[in-house]
Amino acid sequence: MSSSFDQIIVGEEWEETDISILETLDHVLNSGLVIAGEITISVADIDLIFIGLNVLISSVEAAQETLRKRHLEIKAE
Amino acid sequence: MKLYAYCLVEDLDTLDAPVRGISGAAVRLIKMDELGILVSDSESDAVPVTHENALTHAAVVRSVLDRTTPLPFRFGTLVTEQQLSSYISARKPALLTKLAHVRGAVEMSVKIIWQLPTENGEEQPITQSAGATFLAEKRREILGDERRSAQASTISAWLRETVTSLVRDEQVKVRPAEKLVLSAAHLVERTIIPKYRETMAAARQARPDLRFLWSGPWPPYSFANIELEFKTQFGVS
Repeated sequence: MSSSFDQIIVGEEWEETDISILETLDHVLNSGLVIAGEITISVADIDLIFIGLNVLISSVEAAQETLRKRHLEIKAE
Repeated sequence: MKLYAYCLVEDLDTLDAPVRGISGAAVRLIKMDELGILVSDSESDAVPVTHENALTHAAVVRSVLDRTTPLPFRFGTLVTEQQLSSYISARKPALLTKLAHVRGAVEMSVKIIWQLPTENGEEQPITQSAGATFLAEKRREILGDERRSAQASTISAWLRETVTSLVRDEQVKVRPAEKLVLSAAHLVERTIIPKYRETMAAARQARPDLRFLWSGPWPPYSFANIELEFKTQFGVS
């Protein structure tokens, strides 16, 4: 899946691979069109690479909120 | 059987090459109401958030970026064909407006981290009562919050001024926590990406006190949130 665009990531102190994954997750988890009620994710390994990087706070928050809601739904069933 | 939806596109009738999506399923382009949607079949009712799945979602959306500017769906969008069709029909005007807004552009991402300097002369006396210690701590918190908010506004305004002539639209989030994190998404015309990069490189040089992370081009994830805008505009949730 190539693109004519060269995707460039410029950061400081971090490994580019980590940043690339971090940035990708930040985009795909935090934004995009939402069909209400149809986001269905499981977050078993959401804590994978973000700890300490501080720039994916909203992703982690969003994942934790999703997890909390799922727990509540399971309890209610 | 559900469909995993990756992105919405216009002016595309075929995919350039075979593309594999979540769980290795073949990605196909379907048409609904004259709009194209990249989807793959899914046997499951949930999509695990894993490296592989997230990167696959991003790769599928990116696979059409050199031919058109897609509107990405958020990761984990699993729908029936009927649900997807209803969504497209009900929101077609808004979706067309969004597609027109991002046409010919891409998203560039900037994150800025700034460490609040420690204050001098505010060390608390060792022999302070518990109440006084609490109040001193609260005072430090409030002063810190005020300084962080003020700094966030300053940095945000500086960044806006730096790129204002180069961006069609922007989304900025500021998180003034222990370290200030400013996250900006800029919608930039494809033809001026080199100029944008030059400008950001110069900005980075000009502000050694800030830590920068900038990346792109991305599909315009940050400019595709119709639901959020509806809530904001009409004050409902």
